[in-house]
Amino acid sequence: MNPLELTLGIMTAVGGFVDISELVFAAKAGSQFGYALVWVFAFSTFGIIVFSEMSGRVAAVAKQPVFNLMRHRLGLKLGLVALAASIISNLITCAAEIGGVALVLNYLTGAPYPLMAIVITLLLISSIWVLSFKWIERVYGLLGLFMIVFAVALVALRPPWGAIARGFVPQVPHGLSTKELLTFAYFVVAIISAVMFPYEVYFYSSGGIEEGWGPKDLITNRVTAILGMGLGSLLGIAILSNSAQLFGPTHVDPVIPGSVALEAAIPFGKWGLIIALLGMFFAVAGAAVETCLANAYSIAQFFGWIWGRQKQPWEAPRFTITWIVLFALALAIVLTGVDVMTLVEFAILFSILVLPLTYLPLLMLSGDRKYMGQYVNGPIGKTLGWIYFAVITLAAIAALPLYFLTSGGNG
Amino acid sequence: MTPDSPIKLVSELLDLPLYDTEGVYCGVVDDVEFSGRPGKDLQLKALLVGPGAYAGRVPGWAMSLVKLVAGDRLTRVPLEKVRSIGTAVHVECPGRDLSLHKSEASAGKWMPRWGAL
Repeated sequence: MNPLELTLGIMTAVGGFVDISELVFAAKAGSQFGYALVWVFAFSTFGIIVFSEMSGRVAAVAKQPVFNLMRHRLGLKLGLVALAASIISNLITCAAEIGGVALVLNYLTGAPYPLMAIVITLLLISSIWVLSFKWIERVYGLLGLFMIVFAVALVALRPPWGAIARGFVPQVPHGLSTKELLTFAYFVVAIISAVMFPYEVYFYSSGGIEEGWGPKDLITNRVTAILGMGLGSLLGIAILSNSAQLFGPTHVDPVIPGSVALEAAIPFGKWGLIIALLGMFFAVAGAAVETCLANAYSIAQFFGWIWGRQKQPWEAPRFTITWIVLFALALAIVLTGVDVMTLVEFAILFSILVLPLTYLPLLMLSGDRKYMGQYVNGPIGKTLGWIYFAVITLAAIAALPLYFLTSGGNG
Repeated sequence: MTPDSPIKLVSELLDLPLYDTEGVYCGVVDDVEFSGRPGKDLQLKALLVGPGAYAGRVPGWAMSLVKLVAGDRLTRVPLEKVRSIGTAVHVECPGRDLSLHKSEASAGKWMPRWGAL
Protein backbone atom coordinates (compact mmCIF):
# COMPACT_ATOMS: atom_id res chain seq x y z
CA MET A 1 0.00 0.00 0.00
CA ASN A 2 1.60 3.24 -1.19
CA PRO A 3 0.84 5.94 1.45
CA LEU A 4 0.88 8.76 -1.13
CA GLU A 5 -1.54 6.89 -3.40
CA LEU A 6 -3.75 6.11 -0.42
CA THR A 7 -3.79 9.73 0.78
CA LEU A 8 -4.60 10.94 -2.72
CA GLY A 9 -7.36 8.32 -2.96
CA ILE A 10 -8.89 9.47 0.32
CA MET A 11 -8.64 13.16 -0.58
CA THR A 12 -10.17 12.42 -3.98
CA ALA A 13 -13.07 10.61 -2.34
CA VAL A 14 -13.58 13.53 0.09
CA GLY A 15 -13.56 16.16 -2.67
CA GLY A 16 -15.79 14.06 -4.91
CA PHE A 17 -18.39 13.14 -2.28
CA VAL A 18 -20.75 16.10 -2.43
CA ASP A 19 -22.94 16.64 -5.47
CA ILE A 20 -25.75 19.04 -6.37
CA SER A 21 -28.49 16.99 -4.67
CA GLU A 22 -26.59 16.77 -1.40
CA LEU A 23 -25.81 20.50 -1.52
CA VAL A 24 -29.44 21.39 -2.07
CA PHE A 25 -31.02 18.93 0.36
CA ALA A 26 -28.45 19.53 3.12
CA ALA A 27 -29.11 23.29 2.98
CA LYS A 28 -32.89 22.87 2.81
CA ALA A 29 -32.88 20.27 5.59
CA GLY A 30 -30.87 22.56 7.89
CA SER A 31 -33.06 25.59 7.26
CA GLN A 32 -36.34 23.69 7.82
CA PHE A 33 -35.49 21.22 10.57
CA GLY A 34 -32.34 22.55 12.26
CA TYR A 35 -29.97 19.76 13.26
CA ALA A 36 -32.69 17.09 13.42
CA LEU A 37 -31.63 15.45 10.13
CA VAL A 38 -27.88 15.19 10.86
CA TRP A 39 -28.38 11.53 11.87
CA VAL A 40 -29.86 10.71 8.45
CA PHE A 41 -26.67 11.98 6.78
CA ALA A 42 -24.56 9.91 9.16
CA PHE A 43 -26.77 6.81 8.75
CA SER A 44 -26.77 7.04 4.93
CA THR A 45 -23.02 7.65 4.84
CA PHE A 46 -22.49 4.45 6.80
CA GLY A 47 -24.70 2.71 4.22
CA ILE A 48 -22.76 3.99 1.20
CA ILE A 49 -19.51 3.00 2.95
CA VAL A 50 -20.85 -0.55 3.46
CA PHE A 51 -21.94 -0.93 -0.18
CA SER A 52 -18.92 0.83 -1.70
CA GLU A 53 -16.57 -1.40 0.26
CA MET A 54 -18.55 -4.42 -0.98
CA SER A 55 -18.48 -3.29 -4.61
CA GLY A 56 -14.74 -2.52 -4.42
CA ARG A 57 -14.11 -5.95 -2.87
CA VAL A 58 -16.15 -7.67 -5.61
CA ALA A 59 -14.17 -5.73 -8.25
CA ALA A 60 -10.84 -6.62 -6.62
CA VAL A 61 -11.58 -10.31 -6.04
CA ALA A 62 -13.99 -11.39 -8.79
CA LYS A 63 -12.29 -8.89 -11.19
CA GLN A 64 -15.71 -8.09 -12.57
CA PRO A 65 -17.70 -4.89 -12.18
CA VAL A 66 -21.13 -4.80 -10.59
CA PHE A 67 -23.19 -4.59 -13.77
CA ASN A 68 -21.57 -7.67 -15.35
CA LEU A 69 -22.36 -9.71 -12.32
CA MET A 70 -25.76 -8.13 -11.86
CA ARG A 71 -26.89 -9.44 -15.22
CA HIS A 72 -25.69 -12.94 -14.45
CA ARG A 73 -27.51 -12.87 -11.10
CA LEU A 74 -30.76 -11.15 -12.15
CA GLY A 75 -31.03 -12.75 -15.59
CA LEU A 76 -31.49 -10.93 -18.87
CA LYS A 77 -35.06 -9.65 -18.41
CA LEU A 78 -34.71 -8.26 -14.88
CA GLY A 79 -31.19 -7.12 -15.78
CA LEU A 80 -32.63 -5.08 -18.65
CA VAL A 81 -35.16 -3.52 -16.27
CA ALA A 82 -32.33 -2.61 -13.87
CA LEU A 83 -30.29 -1.21 -16.77
CA ALA A 84 -33.16 0.91 -18.11
CA ALA A 85 -33.97 2.24 -14.63
CA SER A 86 -30.35 3.11 -13.90
CA ILE A 87 -29.89 4.79 -17.31
CA ILE A 88 -32.91 7.05 -16.67
CA SER A 89 -31.88 7.81 -13.09
CA ASN A 90 -28.23 8.52 -13.97
CA LEU A 91 -29.17 10.61 -17.01
CA ILE A 92 -31.47 12.85 -14.98
CA THR A 93 -28.81 13.08 -12.26
CA CYS A 94 -26.19 14.01 -14.85
CA ALA A 95 -28.50 16.70 -16.27
CA ALA A 96 -29.03 18.06 -12.75
CA GLU A 97 -25.25 18.19 -12.20
CA ILE A 98 -24.64 19.95 -15.54
CA GLY A 99 -27.42 22.43 -14.71
CA GLY A 100 -25.84 22.97 -11.29
CA VAL A 101 -22.37 23.67 -12.71
CA ALA A 102 -23.89 25.99 -15.34
CA LEU A 103 -25.62 27.92 -12.55
CA VAL A 104 -22.34 28.25 -10.62
CA LEU A 105 -20.62 29.51 -13.80
CA ASN A 106 -23.51 31.89 -14.30
CA TYR A 107 -22.97 33.27 -10.75
CA LEU A 108 -19.20 33.56 -11.31
CA THR A 109 -19.26 35.16 -14.77
CA GLY A 110 -22.76 36.57 -15.31
CA ALA A 111 -22.88 34.83 -18.72
CA PRO A 112 -26.25 33.31 -19.76
CA TYR A 113 -27.15 29.98 -18.14
CA PRO A 114 -27.87 28.02 -21.38
CA LEU A 115 -24.56 29.17 -22.88
CA MET A 116 -22.74 28.11 -19.71
CA ALA A 117 -24.46 24.69 -19.89
CA ILE A 118 -23.13 24.20 -23.43
CA VAL A 119 -19.64 25.41 -22.48
CA ILE A 120 -19.39 23.18 -19.43
CA THR A 121 -20.62 20.12 -21.33
CA LEU A 122 -17.94 20.67 -23.99
CA LEU A 123 -15.32 21.16 -21.26
CA LEU A 124 -16.38 17.97 -19.49
CA ILE A 125 -16.30 15.95 -22.72
CA SER A 126 -12.84 17.35 -23.57
CA SER A 127 -11.49 16.60 -20.10
CA ILE A 128 -12.65 12.96 -20.24
CA TRP A 129 -11.20 12.57 -23.73
CA VAL A 130 -7.84 14.07 -22.77
CA LEU A 131 -7.26 12.79 -19.21
CA SER A 132 -6.67 9.22 -18.08
CA PHE A 133 -9.02 7.69 -15.49
CA LYS A 134 -6.68 8.40 -12.58
CA TRP A 135 -6.30 12.05 -13.54
CA ILE A 136 -10.02 12.52 -14.15
CA GLU A 137 -10.60 11.32 -10.58
CA ARG A 138 -7.80 13.43 -9.16
CA VAL A 139 -8.49 16.71 -10.96
CA TYR A 140 -12.16 16.87 -9.98
CA GLY A 141 -11.74 15.21 -6.58
CA LEU A 142 -8.77 17.27 -5.41
CA LEU A 143 -10.09 20.60 -6.70
CA GLY A 144 -13.42 19.72 -5.07
CA LEU A 145 -11.53 20.04 -1.77
CA PHE A 146 -12.26 23.79 -1.97
CA MET A 147 -15.54 22.61 -0.41
CA ILE A 148 -13.66 22.37 2.89
CA VAL A 149 -14.42 26.10 3.19
CA PHE A 150 -17.90 25.04 4.41
CA ALA A 151 -16.37 23.08 7.31
CA VAL A 152 -14.07 26.03 8.13
CA ALA A 153 -17.08 28.35 7.96
CA LEU A 154 -18.89 26.11 10.45
CA VAL A 155 -16.05 26.52 12.96
CA ALA A 156 -15.89 30.28 12.32
CA LEU A 157 -19.63 30.64 12.93
CA ARG A 158 -19.22 29.15 16.44
CA PRO A 159 -22.23 26.86 16.21
CA PRO A 160 -23.92 25.14 19.17
CA TRP A 161 -21.74 22.02 19.05
CA GLY A 162 -23.91 20.27 21.62
CA ALA A 163 -26.99 20.65 19.39
CA ILE A 164 -25.05 19.32 16.39
CA ALA A 165 -23.81 16.34 18.44
CA ARG A 166 -27.41 15.63 19.57
CA GLY A 167 -28.38 15.67 15.88
CA PHE A 168 -26.43 12.42 15.41
CA VAL A 169 -29.01 10.62 17.59
CA PRO A 170 -31.92 9.30 15.48
CA GLN A 171 -34.93 11.50 16.22
CA VAL A 172 -38.16 13.01 14.95
CA PRO A 173 -38.63 16.61 16.17
CA HIS A 174 -41.47 17.11 18.67
CA GLY A 175 -44.54 19.19 17.97
CA LEU A 176 -44.64 18.82 14.18
CA SER A 177 -48.00 18.97 12.41
CA THR A 178 -48.97 16.05 10.14
CA LYS A 179 -47.92 18.09 7.11
CA GLU A 180 -44.54 18.88 8.69
CA LEU A 181 -44.08 15.25 9.69
CA LEU A 182 -44.63 14.15 6.08
CA THR A 183 -42.15 16.78 4.89
CA PHE A 184 -39.64 15.53 7.47
CA ALA A 185 -40.17 11.96 6.21
CA TYR A 186 -39.68 13.16 2.62
CA PHE A 187 -36.36 14.76 3.61
CA VAL A 188 -35.26 11.52 5.29
CA VAL A 189 -35.94 9.63 2.03
CA ALA A 190 -34.33 12.35 -0.12
CA ILE A 191 -31.13 12.46 1.95
CA ILE A 192 -30.83 8.64 1.90
CA SER A 193 -31.22 8.79 -1.90
CA ALA A 194 -28.76 11.69 -2.35
CA VAL A 195 -26.05 10.10 -0.22
CA MET A 196 -26.52 6.56 -1.58
CA PHE A 197 -26.92 7.42 -5.28
CA PRO A 198 -26.51 4.21 -7.34
CA TYR A 199 -24.02 5.82 -9.72
CA GLU A 200 -21.50 6.06 -6.88
CA VAL A 201 -21.30 2.25 -6.60
CA TYR A 202 -21.15 1.68 -10.38
CA PHE A 203 -18.38 4.28 -10.68
CA TYR A 204 -16.46 3.05 -7.64
CA SER A 205 -16.44 -0.62 -8.69
CA SER A 206 -15.67 0.13 -12.33
CA GLY A 207 -12.89 2.45 -11.12
CA GLY A 208 -11.44 -0.45 -9.13
CA ILE A 209 -11.30 -2.55 -12.30
CA GLU A 210 -9.84 0.40 -14.27
CA GLU A 211 -7.05 0.69 -11.71
CA GLY A 212 -6.41 -3.07 -11.77
CA TRP A 213 -7.33 -3.73 -8.13
CA GLY A 214 -6.61 -7.19 -6.76
CA PRO A 215 -6.87 -8.80 -3.31
CA LYS A 216 -3.74 -6.86 -2.24
CA ASP A 217 -5.76 -3.64 -2.63
CA LEU A 218 -8.53 -4.66 -0.24
CA ILE A 219 -7.13 -2.55 2.59
CA THR A 220 -6.86 0.47 0.28
CA ASN A 221 -10.46 -0.18 -0.72
CA ARG A 222 -11.65 -0.33 2.87
CA VAL A 223 -9.68 2.70 4.07
CA THR A 224 -10.69 4.82 1.04
CA ALA A 225 -14.35 3.91 1.47
CA ILE A 226 -14.42 4.57 5.22
CA LEU A 227 -12.22 7.66 5.47
CA GLY A 228 -12.91 9.23 2.06
CA MET A 229 -16.67 8.91 2.23
CA GLY A 230 -16.85 9.48 5.99
CA LEU A 231 -14.90 12.74 5.81
CA GLY A 232 -16.72 13.75 2.60
CA SER A 233 -20.01 13.34 4.42
CA LEU A 234 -18.81 15.75 7.12
CA LEU A 235 -18.86 18.45 4.43
CA GLY A 236 -22.54 17.69 3.83
CA ILE A 237 -23.19 17.85 7.58
CA ALA A 238 -21.27 21.17 7.74
CA ILE A 239 -23.52 22.60 5.00
CA LEU A 240 -26.62 21.40 6.87
CA SER A 241 -25.38 22.84 10.17
CA ASN A 242 -24.41 26.20 8.64
CA SER A 243 -27.85 26.39 7.10
CA ALA A 244 -29.49 25.53 10.44
CA GLN A 245 -27.60 28.39 12.07
CA LEU A 246 -27.79 31.02 9.32
CA PHE A 247 -30.98 30.35 7.36
CA GLY A 248 -33.24 28.56 9.85
CA PRO A 249 -33.75 31.37 12.41
CA THR A 250 -34.38 33.94 9.64
CA HIS A 251 -36.77 31.58 7.78
CA VAL A 252 -34.68 31.74 4.61
CA ASP A 253 -35.42 28.77 2.32
CA PRO A 254 -32.27 28.10 0.23
CA VAL A 255 -34.24 27.21 -2.88
CA ILE A 256 -31.41 27.88 -5.33
CA PRO A 257 -27.94 26.25 -5.17
CA GLY A 258 -26.34 29.71 -5.00
CA SER A 259 -27.75 30.26 -1.50
CA VAL A 260 -25.42 27.56 -0.20
CA ALA A 261 -22.37 29.64 -1.16
CA LEU A 262 -23.59 32.38 1.20
CA GLU A 263 -22.70 30.07 4.11
CA ALA A 264 -19.01 30.81 3.39
CA ALA A 265 -19.60 34.42 2.29
CA ILE A 266 -21.14 35.42 5.63
CA PRO A 267 -18.06 34.61 7.78
CA PHE A 268 -15.32 35.17 5.15
CA GLY A 269 -16.69 37.79 2.74
CA LYS A 270 -15.90 37.92 -0.98
CA TRP A 271 -13.08 35.35 -0.86
CA GLY A 272 -15.24 32.94 1.08
CA LEU A 273 -17.88 33.26 -1.60
CA ILE A 274 -15.39 32.69 -4.44
CA ILE A 275 -13.80 29.65 -2.77
CA ALA A 276 -17.24 28.19 -2.02
CA LEU A 277 -18.33 28.66 -5.65
CA LEU A 278 -15.07 27.10 -6.91
CA GLY A 279 -15.58 24.14 -4.56
CA MET A 280 -19.16 23.74 -5.75
CA PHE A 281 -18.02 24.03 -9.38
CA PHE A 282 -15.43 21.24 -9.16
CA ALA A 283 -17.47 18.97 -6.85
CA VAL A 284 -20.59 19.18 -9.01
CA ALA A 285 -18.62 18.96 -12.29
CA GLY A 286 -16.90 15.85 -10.88
CA ALA A 287 -20.32 14.39 -10.08
CA ALA A 288 -21.45 15.10 -13.67
CA VAL A 289 -18.43 13.17 -14.96
CA GLU A 290 -19.07 10.30 -12.54
CA THR A 291 -22.78 10.00 -13.40
CA CYS A 292 -22.08 10.05 -17.14
CA LEU A 293 -19.23 7.54 -16.96
CA ALA A 294 -21.20 5.33 -14.55
CA ASN A 295 -24.01 5.22 -17.12
CA ALA A 296 -21.60 4.40 -19.96
CA TYR A 297 -19.93 1.71 -17.81
CA SER A 298 -23.31 0.09 -17.10
CA ILE A 299 -24.39 0.05 -20.74
CA ALA A 300 -21.03 -1.23 -22.02
CA GLN A 301 -20.74 -3.90 -19.31
CA PHE A 302 -24.31 -5.08 -19.86
CA PHE A 303 -23.98 -5.46 -23.62
CA GLY A 304 -20.46 -6.85 -23.47
CA TRP A 305 -18.55 -3.99 -25.09
CA ILE A 306 -14.91 -3.12 -24.46
CA TRP A 307 -15.01 -0.38 -21.82
CA GLY A 308 -12.80 1.79 -19.65
CA ARG A 309 -11.16 5.18 -19.63
CA GLN A 310 -7.80 3.63 -18.79
CA LYS A 311 -7.81 2.69 -22.49
CA GLN A 312 -7.47 5.36 -25.15
CA PRO A 313 -10.92 6.56 -26.33
CA TRP A 314 -10.49 4.88 -29.73
CA GLU A 315 -9.58 1.55 -28.11
CA ALA A 316 -13.07 1.32 -26.58
CA PRO A 317 -15.04 3.10 -29.34
CA ARG A 318 -18.59 2.08 -28.43
CA PHE A 319 -17.98 3.02 -24.79
CA THR A 320 -16.57 6.38 -25.92
CA ILE A 321 -19.53 7.08 -28.22
CA THR A 322 -21.88 6.15 -25.36
CA TRP A 323 -20.51 8.66 -22.83
CA ILE A 324 -20.41 11.43 -25.46
CA VAL A 325 -24.04 10.73 -26.47
CA LEU A 326 -25.09 10.61 -22.79
CA PHE A 327 -23.52 14.02 -22.16
CA ALA A 328 -25.33 15.38 -25.24
CA LEU A 329 -28.65 13.95 -23.96
CA ALA A 330 -28.11 15.42 -20.50
CA LEU A 331 -27.34 18.80 -22.07
CA ALA A 332 -30.49 18.53 -24.20
CA ILE A 333 -32.53 18.01 -21.01
CA VAL A 334 -30.95 21.12 -19.45
CA LEU A 335 -31.58 23.18 -22.60
CA THR A 336 -35.31 22.38 -22.53
CA GLY A 337 -35.36 25.02 -19.78
CA VAL A 338 -36.42 22.70 -16.97
CA ASP A 339 -35.45 24.16 -13.61
CA VAL A 340 -32.32 22.72 -11.94
CA MET A 341 -34.23 22.18 -8.68
CA THR A 342 -36.87 20.16 -10.54
CA LEU A 343 -34.11 18.04 -12.07
CA VAL A 344 -32.58 17.52 -8.62
CA GLU A 345 -35.94 16.37 -7.26
CA PHE A 346 -36.49 13.95 -10.16
CA ALA A 347 -32.92 12.65 -9.79
CA ILE A 348 -33.54 11.94 -6.10
CA LEU A 349 -36.87 10.27 -6.83
CA PHE A 350 -35.66 8.02 -9.67
CA SER A 351 -32.50 7.09 -7.77
CA ILE A 352 -34.30 5.88 -4.67
CA LEU A 353 -36.53 3.73 -6.87
CA VAL A 354 -33.44 2.15 -8.50
CA LEU A 355 -31.48 1.67 -5.25
CA PRO A 356 -32.91 -1.76 -4.25
CA LEU A 357 -32.27 -3.11 -7.76
CA THR A 358 -28.67 -1.88 -7.53
CA TYR A 359 -27.85 -3.16 -4.09
CA LEU A 360 -29.64 -6.55 -4.07
CA PRO A 361 -27.37 -8.23 -6.67
CA LEU A 362 -24.34 -6.66 -5.02
CA LEU A 363 -25.33 -8.15 -1.67
CA MET A 364 -25.91 -11.56 -3.25
CA LEU A 365 -22.62 -11.50 -5.15
CA SER A 366 -20.46 -10.33 -2.28
CA GLY A 367 -21.98 -13.12 -0.19
CA ASP A 368 -21.36 -15.81 -2.83
CA ARG A 369 -18.33 -17.97 -2.03
CA LYS A 370 -18.10 -19.14 -5.66
CA TYR A 371 -17.13 -15.60 -6.69
CA MET A 372 -15.55 -14.28 -3.53
CA GLY A 373 -13.78 -17.30 -1.97
CA GLN A 374 -12.29 -16.32 1.39
CA TYR A 375 -13.25 -12.65 0.83
CA VAL A 376 -16.98 -13.37 1.04
CA ASN A 377 -19.08 -11.08 3.32
CA GLY A 378 -18.54 -11.77 7.01
CA PRO A 379 -21.43 -11.84 9.50
CA ILE A 380 -21.11 -8.08 10.20
CA GLY A 381 -21.02 -7.10 6.53
CA LYS A 382 -23.92 -9.45 5.75
CA THR A 383 -26.07 -8.12 8.62
CA LEU A 384 -25.34 -4.47 7.82
CA GLY A 385 -25.95 -5.07 4.12
CA TRP A 386 -29.39 -6.63 4.68
CA ILE A 387 -30.39 -3.97 7.24
CA TYR A 388 -29.55 -1.21 4.74
CA PHE A 389 -31.27 -3.12 1.96
CA ALA A 390 -34.46 -3.25 4.07
CA VAL A 391 -34.19 0.48 4.79
CA ILE A 392 -33.69 1.51 1.14
CA THR A 393 -36.54 -0.77 0.06
CA LEU A 394 -38.85 0.93 2.57
CA ALA A 395 -37.57 4.33 1.40
CA ALA A 396 -38.21 3.35 -2.23
CA ILE A 397 -41.80 2.30 -1.39
CA ALA A 398 -42.42 5.54 0.52
CA ALA A 399 -40.72 7.89 -1.96
CA LEU A 400 -43.50 8.44 -4.51
CA PRO A 401 -46.37 8.88 -2.03
CA LEU A 402 -44.25 11.28 0.07
CA TYR A 403 -43.21 13.22 -3.04
CA PHE A 404 -46.83 13.81 -4.06
CA LEU A 405 -48.14 14.42 -0.53
CA THR A 406 -45.49 17.08 0.17
CA SER A 407 -45.15 18.56 -3.34
CA GLY A 408 -41.51 17.50 -3.40
CA GLY A 409 -40.76 18.61 0.15
CA ASN A 410 -42.23 22.06 -0.35
CA GLY A 411 -45.11 21.47 2.06
CA MET B 1 -15.53 -26.62 -15.07
CA THR B 2 -14.24 -27.64 -18.51
CA PRO B 3 -16.26 -27.70 -21.75
CA ASP B 4 -16.66 -31.52 -21.57
CA SER B 5 -17.93 -31.52 -17.95
CA PRO B 6 -21.67 -31.88 -17.51
CA ILE B 7 -23.35 -28.52 -17.04
CA LYS B 8 -26.00 -28.71 -14.34
CA LEU B 9 -28.01 -25.75 -15.53
CA VAL B 10 -27.85 -23.54 -18.57
CA SER B 11 -28.41 -20.65 -16.16
CA GLU B 12 -24.89 -21.27 -14.83
CA LEU B 13 -23.55 -20.37 -18.24
CA LEU B 14 -25.95 -17.74 -19.50
CA ASP B 15 -24.97 -14.07 -19.02
CA LEU B 16 -21.38 -14.89 -18.03
CA PRO B 17 -18.69 -12.52 -19.35
CA LEU B 18 -16.36 -13.82 -22.04
CA TYR B 19 -12.61 -13.16 -22.16
CA ASP B 20 -10.03 -14.10 -24.81
CA THR B 21 -6.43 -15.32 -24.45
CA GLU B 22 -5.19 -11.73 -24.30
CA GLY B 23 -7.50 -10.99 -21.36
CA VAL B 24 -9.68 -8.75 -23.52
CA TYR B 25 -13.38 -8.55 -22.66
CA CYS B 26 -15.21 -10.01 -25.68
CA GLY B 27 -18.84 -9.91 -24.66
CA VAL B 28 -21.39 -11.89 -22.70
CA VAL B 29 -22.84 -15.38 -23.24
CA ASP B 30 -26.23 -14.23 -24.47
CA ASP B 31 -27.60 -17.63 -25.44
CA VAL B 32 -26.45 -21.18 -26.15
CA GLU B 33 -26.90 -23.59 -29.05
CA PHE B 34 -27.58 -27.27 -28.51
CA SER B 35 -27.41 -30.27 -30.79
CA GLY B 36 -29.60 -33.34 -30.35
CA ARG B 37 -33.17 -34.40 -30.90
CA PRO B 38 -36.10 -35.70 -28.85
CA GLY B 39 -35.18 -38.85 -26.95
CA LYS B 40 -31.44 -38.26 -27.38
CA ASP B 41 -28.94 -36.43 -25.17
CA LEU B 42 -28.69 -32.71 -25.60
CA GLN B 43 -25.16 -31.48 -26.18
CA LEU B 44 -23.93 -27.95 -25.92
CA LYS B 45 -22.61 -26.94 -29.33
CA ALA B 46 -21.86 -23.23 -29.24
CA LEU B 47 -22.15 -20.02 -27.27
CA LEU B 48 -24.07 -17.17 -28.88
CA VAL B 49 -22.67 -13.71 -28.23
CA GLY B 50 -24.30 -10.38 -29.09
CA PRO B 51 -27.71 -8.73 -28.66
CA GLY B 52 -29.03 -10.64 -31.69
CA ALA B 53 -29.29 -13.62 -29.33
CA TYR B 54 -31.73 -11.79 -27.03
CA ALA B 55 -34.57 -12.38 -29.50
CA GLY B 56 -35.77 -15.61 -27.87
CA ARG B 57 -35.25 -14.34 -24.34
CA VAL B 58 -37.01 -10.96 -24.19
CA PRO B 59 -40.36 -9.61 -25.48
CA GLY B 60 -40.47 -8.08 -28.96
CA TRP B 61 -40.84 -4.47 -27.78
CA ALA B 62 -37.77 -4.85 -25.52
CA MET B 63 -35.85 -6.34 -28.43
CA SER B 64 -36.65 -3.25 -30.56
CA LEU B 65 -35.21 -1.00 -27.83
CA VAL B 66 -32.11 -3.18 -27.49
CA LYS B 67 -31.64 -3.09 -31.27
CA LEU B 68 -31.82 0.70 -31.18
CA VAL B 69 -29.11 0.98 -28.50
CA ALA B 70 -26.84 -2.00 -29.17
CA GLY B 71 -27.74 -3.37 -32.63
CA ASP B 72 -28.58 -7.01 -33.29
CA ARG B 73 -25.25 -8.56 -34.17
CA LEU B 74 -24.79 -12.23 -33.26
CA THR B 75 -21.52 -14.16 -33.14
CA ARG B 76 -21.28 -17.92 -32.70
CA VAL B 77 -18.44 -19.29 -30.57
CA PRO B 78 -18.04 -23.07 -31.13
CA LEU B 79 -17.61 -24.99 -27.89
CA GLU B 80 -14.24 -26.35 -29.13
CA LYS B 81 -12.90 -22.82 -28.80
CA VAL B 82 -13.85 -22.56 -25.11
CA ARG B 83 -10.98 -23.15 -22.68
CA SER B 84 -12.78 -22.89 -19.32
CA ILE B 85 -16.09 -21.99 -17.75
CA GLY B 86 -16.15 -20.57 -14.23
CA THR B 87 -17.24 -17.19 -12.99
CA ALA B 88 -16.31 -16.10 -16.53
CA VAL B 89 -15.87 -17.94 -19.83
CA HIS B 90 -12.38 -17.98 -21.34
CA VAL B 91 -11.84 -18.81 -25.01
CA GLU B 92 -8.58 -20.28 -26.29
CA CYS B 93 -7.77 -17.73 -29.00
CA PRO B 94 -7.81 -13.95 -29.52
CA GLY B 95 -11.35 -12.55 -29.83
CA ARG B 96 -10.67 -11.17 -33.32
CA ASP B 97 -10.15 -14.76 -34.64
CA LEU B 98 -13.77 -15.46 -33.66
CA SER B 99 -15.01 -12.12 -35.10
CA LEU B 100 -15.91 -11.00 -31.59
CA HIS B 101 -14.52 -7.49 -32.06
CA LYS B 102 -16.09 -6.67 -35.43
CA SER B 103 -18.58 -4.12 -34.08
CA GLU B 104 -15.88 -2.41 -32.00
CA ALA B 105 -13.62 -2.24 -35.04
CA SER B 106 -16.28 -0.69 -37.26
CA ALA B 107 -17.29 1.83 -34.55
CA GLY B 108 -13.64 2.78 -34.07
CA LYS B 109 -12.90 3.33 -37.75
CA TRP B 110 -14.01 6.94 -37.87
CA MET B 111 -12.88 7.93 -34.37
CA PRO B 112 -9.99 10.43 -34.19
CA ARG B 113 -6.79 8.97 -32.75
CA TRP B 114 -5.36 12.03 -31.07
CA GLY B 115 -5.67 14.27 -28.05
CA ALA B 116 -5.76 11.69 -25.27
CA LEU B 117 -2.95 11.50 -22.69
